[in-house]
Amino acid sequence: MGRILCPTRGGEGSYRTQDAAIAMAKERGDELVFLYVVDLDFLNKTERAVRPDVVAEEMRHLGEFLLGMAQERAHNQGVDAAYVLREGDVQAEIEAAALEEEATMVVLGQSAADDPACAFAPESLLRFAQKIEAGTGIETRVVC
Amino acid sequence: MSELGRCERRHRKISRLLFAGLIVVALASSLVHQLLPASAADSRRPELVGWVTDPLGEPVQNAEVSMYADGMKEPIAVAESQGDGEFALELPEVPFETLSVDVSRPHFHSQTWSPTPDELELLRQGATIRLPDITMERRITLGFWVATLTFVGMLALIALERLHNTMAALLGAAIVLGVSSVGSPLNPDLFILDFEQALQYVDFDVIFLVMGMMIVIGILEATGIFQWTAYQAYRLSRGRAWLLAIILMILTSVASAMLDNVTTMLLMTPITLEIALVLGINPLALIIPEVLASNIGGISTLIGTPTNILIGSYADIGFADFLINLTPGVVLAQTALTIYVLVVFRRQYREVSGGLSPAMLDRLRENGRITRPKTLAKAGTVFVLMLLLFIFGEQIHLVPAVTAILGAAVMLLVVDTDIQEMLKVVDWTTLMFFIALFMVIGALQEVGLISLIAAGIKQLVGENLNLALLVIVWSGALLSGVIDNIPFTAAMLPVVGYLTRTIPGASSKVLFYGLSVGSAMGGNSTLIGSSPNMVTAGIAERAGYPVSYVAFLKVGLPATIITVAMGTIWLLIRF
Repeated sequence: MGRILCPTRGGEGSYRTQDAAIAMAKERGDELVFLYVVDLDFLNKTERAVRPDVVAEEMRHLGEFLLGMAQERAHNQGVDAAYVLREGDVQAEIEAAALEEEATMVVLGQSAADDPACAFAPESLLRFAQKIEAGTGIETRVVC
Repeated sequence: MSELGRCERRHRKISRLLFAGLIVVALASSLVHQLLPASAADSRRPELVGWVTDPLGEPVQNAEVSMYADGMKEPIAVAESQGDGEFALELPEVPFETLSVDVSRPHFHSQTWSPTPDELELLRQGATIRLPDITMERRITLGFWVATLTFVGMLALIALERLHNTMAALLGAAIVLGVSSVGSPLNPDLFILDFEQALQYVDFDVIFLVMGMMIVIGILEATGIFQWTAYQAYRLSRGRAWLLAIILMILTSVASAMLDNVTTMLLMTPITLEIALVLGINPLALIIPEVLASNIGGISTLIGTPTNILIGSYADIGFADFLINLTPGVVLAQTALTIYVLVVFRRQYREVSGGLSPAMLDRLRENGRITRPKTLAKAGTVFVLMLLLFIFGEQIHLVPAVTAILGAAVMLLVVDTDIQEMLKVVDWTTLMFFIALFMVIGALQEVGLISLIAAGIKQLVGENLNLALLVIVWSGALLSGVIDNIPFTAAMLPVVGYLTRTIPGASSKVLFYGLSVGSAMGGNSTLIGSSPNMVTAGIAERAGYPVSYVAFLKVGLPATIITVAMGTIWLLIRF
């Protein structure tokens, strides 16, 4: 039995990817693990004083909430999913999580409302999938 | 408890007491300084006194005034003009037939004055002579272009997000100071300002007020109060999204006025996202109204926005002044904004579906609780007292910066927190941003760009106060949408100061209030218009709800026009 890692940001735009990962887990009888990465990069966009520790705590709560929703979505489709919450650079954390969770497959998706500059835009997404495969040897699929 | 632990606690207590003691001494020194009469300088020698002004009639500080006797190359007396442009040259005990006085300053044409034979005689008899006012004509130098291009470059780097704001401001300060130091020996026209002058432009009232508020907010924000209020709004609305939006807008507006709009949005956005997902509506229908309300709410107090802190310190406008003169305008603008939001997001508010499991509702309840009730009770009490001190402290000569530091010290004492940890919440990056920004704006003032802008606006508006108000409010609103409103406001302060002194009726400081309204409300027009917009969009994007520039503009621009119009109407009525 394998293990599928599905990085997600939650939100309606991610449902398609979540559903694809759930369907794959069901079909292959694999375990499913959702991943949310807390990335505080947006704090660099302000010249105002903020407490990164307090913001990180709030983002962890939000991440757990979104992961809880994904878990519930999987449960409603007959799959029991686990989740992992990490903090740091999104791409680096996905790669690290794939190795640490001993994933046999990573399922990446493009959010429906993403802008072209986003890390999950099609071209960069494909490049990122290739990078994961090259770096970890784990099969990586892109849901579009 | 171990001996080591007791020692550590004792050490912490001593640290806190020392810190508090320092604050009390600073406070006492501030009060004593205010109460002591100024001692007048005694001079028994004959003197030449005069005033140096620029073409706008503004005092020229640091002009070098040199007195020469009988055509000698070395001056017999030298003085510098003060902040009000005044100088006093003491005549030394040397014999002389003729005298001449040279007034020189970088970025101005030099002036020479010579006394008449009668005036010379009076001086010999020991009399003091008052010179006619000396008006120095501006000179556009190479330094002017360096400073101007540096400022424009700094704004562009910030607007295009090529550099962090602090980095851009530091780079700007480094360029103007570096060119002055290294370039001026090669070409004197490259001189802009020296380091000593640059330091004079740093407003330490602003720095200490911002620092004090950082500590206060740092303690309060970790208590869960923001999240709790958002959750209570959800409960109160009983699933009615339109009502929830109204309550959240009021909450963010008030929180932004009392604390800071970036902090408010950083802590309200995640829980609002969760609430929206529980209700089954698009979170942007709650988050965008919140951030619009947050940008407006901050206007009503001195500490609500950094622009108000800058304005308050420069124009000596206190907490109570902002509250009295701007709150009704803010209420008017918020009312109009609420109606606008209810119309724009009417479809989303009807789409409430719910459908999440009780487990998710429990999780929401858990995220919306007060995490440190004891800290909140103590810190909240101190904060209320601090607000009262902000309002009434001016009557006992307590400047806002001292109130903020005092509040921070008392809060650290009563909350019994680790001072080392709490002082880490002081964001030196932000303080450096303000210091570097003040230096760059100082450079613009030195080279005369600010005077040119002030003269241009004065020529445009003449003596018409209402027209001046419209220009300040709407140009502020327009420009704040495309450039960072903090450097913009800092640069506009001397301009508005000049207009306030020269336009009849402007002494009510209405133009400063106009600058506050324009620069803060204008931030609502675009995604990059204000820091709360950008951090809110950042959080929403990480939850899978990206906010594009165009999507924000479609909602924000009409909201800005409506609210700025309301703000303008209020200012016209009030003043």
